[in-house]
Amino acid sequence: MIIKHLLNATALAALMAAPVAAQEGPIKIGASLPLTGNFSVAGSKHQQGYELCVGLINERGGILGRQVELIVSDNRSDPATAINQYERFINVDGVEAVYGTFSSRLTFPVASILAKNGFVHPVPAGGALRIYTQGHKNIFYFQPNAAEYVGASLAGVLKDLVPADAAPKSAAIISADDFFANGVWSGLMGEKVMDPADGSEVADLAPGYLADNGIEVVFSEKWPEEGFSDWLNLANRVKQSGPDMIIGLTASAEEAVQLTRAFKTVRAEADLVYLSQGTQAEFAEGTGESSNGILIHTSWHKDAPFEGLLGGEPFSNADYVAAHQAAYGAVPDEDSAIPFAVCQGIEQAMIGAGSTDNAAMGTWLSGRSKDDPVRSILGRFNWDDTGLPADKPFLMTQWNGGELQFVYPTDEFEGVNPMTYPKGSF
Amino acid sequence: MEQIVQTLILGIALGGVFALMGSGLSLVFGVMRIVNLAHPSLIIAGAYVTYWGFKLWGIDPLVMLPIAAIILAAIGVILYKLVFEKEAKSAKYSEMTVLLTFATAMIVEGALGGMFTNTQRVTSPDYATDAIFFGNVFIPTGQLYAGLASLVIIGALALFLKHSRFGNAIRATTQNRDAAELLGVNVNFVGIMSFAIGIGLAGAAGSLVSFVFSFFPAKHWEWIAVLMSLVVLGGMGSILGTVLASFMLSIVAAFVGAYFGSTWSSMTFFLALFLILLVRPQGLFGEKPELA
Repeated sequence: MIIKHLLNATALAALMAAPVAAQEGPIKIGASLPLTGNFSVAGSKHQQGYELCVGLINERGGILGRQVELIVSDNRSDPATAINQYERFINVDGVEAVYGTFSSRLTFPVASILAKNGFVHPVPAGGALRIYTQGHKNIFYFQPNAAEYVGASLAGVLKDLVPADAAPKSAAIISADDFFANGVWSGLMGEKVMDPADGSEVADLAPGYLADNGIEVVFSEKWPEEGFSDWLNLANRVKQSGPDMIIGLTASAEEAVQLTRAFKTVRAEADLVYLSQGTQAEFAEGTGESSNGILIHTSWHKDAPFEGLLGGEPFSNADYVAAHQAAYGAVPDEDSAIPFAVCQGIEQAMIGAGSTDNAAMGTWLSGRSKDDPVRSILGRFNWDDTGLPADKPFLMTQWNGGELQFVYPTDEFEGVNPMTYPKGSF
Repeated sequence: MEQIVQTLILGIALGGVFALMGSGLSLVFGVMRIVNLAHPSLIIAGAYVTYWGFKLWGIDPLVMLPIAAIILAAIGVILYKLVFEKEAKSAKYSEMTVLLTFATAMIVEGALGGMFTNTQRVTSPDYATDAIFFGNVFIPTGQLYAGLASLVIIGALALFLKHSRFGNAIRATTQNRDAAELLGVNVNFVGIMSFAIGIGLAGAAGSLVSFVFSFFPAKHWEWIAVLMSLVVLGGMGSILGTVLASFMLSIVAAFVGAYFGSTWSSMTFFLALFLILLVRPQGLFGEKPELA
């Protein structure tokens, strides 16, 4: 009996000691990213963003006096693998926090797993509205808004920057059949957003941003998410429809390059061309002068004068650009900047909560307001009940002379460039 | 009428590129019975060789083509020695090569990602995004040059296989490996060289791909099913069959895309793969499989 009591006491002591021991080691944070497969281009840049941020935090003494250990796993762009890896982070690796993955397709299933385990889910790239209507409490999106509302920025450009007598009257809209691109499509075309789980209506976006602006859709088509190679055929049919405006809802920079080159080859012309991806340097490299005048929405721009925090000290967007260049020898794009902001947000949540307790971190993040936000290199963040940022517009950028210029909104901060209009040929 | 002609041209143009991409795969299967799932990843490797030649020294991708072919052929020899030679006499050789080449594809993808990052690339000679117009109908010069280069290479390969002594040895080995060995053909050497030629063709195809499509290390997963459908339709091991299948399927896919929407154009390849396996598993020019 005495031995049994001793064993019980030892076990109890071990159990009590375990959390203390964990608190003394590094803070483990897990991130499952698509480092190979279809999303590998963006996934690799996300890894850069996370690693740079964690490295800088550790140089500044870590979080709550503890170093941060980042565990990155390659989910091969596969949702099932992403789910398994987050479960492994939590149940085997014993991580105290996680960073989100890339793309709506991967984020959607991962959100349920993290919610079930009570983890704060900071999302760097998962803009589909359906992700935020599942009732998850601790999910926080680190971009301006859901994909369905991206069209608001395009509508703003048409209203504020295009002369009324020269405004486009017709549009060709083509899109990747992708989780994110479909969201943007729904907003522009005014479709209903349905919950894939039970078929219930999430939102009715009628009449849509295009109809709302008196624009007639003269051509619309989607291309498959994977394995599509017939870009010239598609571009030629867009050209034949003779639209004033071309909207290409590309799901990756690669698709944006293919589409833009195809438009150049078929000698298409339009007053305004908007793509949903293409802010990356490789887009400019792959398209050259054809990129001139193309509008692309973005969450981040290198010249945006955002002031963030890192290690409890001011850390501006300019500081980030310099740090990224020093580490990787190139100017970053939003695929690296957004995960950096995620990392800043989680750091501030841990400091704000005074621990790595996810419930406390979630409460702290939910409690952010316009006057007391998370401060990141993507600007200020506070969220509504669904986890979408409140009152945060997308930035609209335009390629001109090989430079991605910030053109809208014009009242966000100084340094706005005039928009080139009309675009004309590619 | 204009749209029909235009769609036909675009289908033919795409078919020319696919023909070379599939030919190496077909040759390697025909001679070696290797179902080379790593073939598209080696095409990507050839595209990277071309890209860096273009990027660093401004060498035209068409000029880089023989260089990429030679480099990849050398890699093919090493790959064969390391991965396939030991298993060549295995009773389950073809089945094993599926697993071996799948692993090879992942290794090649990882190596390319490690060396060149996962950033997508494309070479941009002027002709890549130009076109020759006849009224409203156009021929894209990038695809035109790629298709012509492809046909020249395949034609040269066909002449080599038919009229050279070593070509005869390759064809003999393709038809009956044991009989060829009994007649004095060094089938192991033929195997190595055929594999090298096949991978060299992947390198050459990579040069063409580098300006027709953008690419990144993981892009090969998108191509393997398309290339397999071409090779299966043409008849596993038949280069002529692969070429014809490339043009047929690309033309059909172009018309499907033009008249039924882009979503269905990619489906054409997979539907063809399904149907051909159902109706004529040996393909257009392949041998009827023996029943065990």
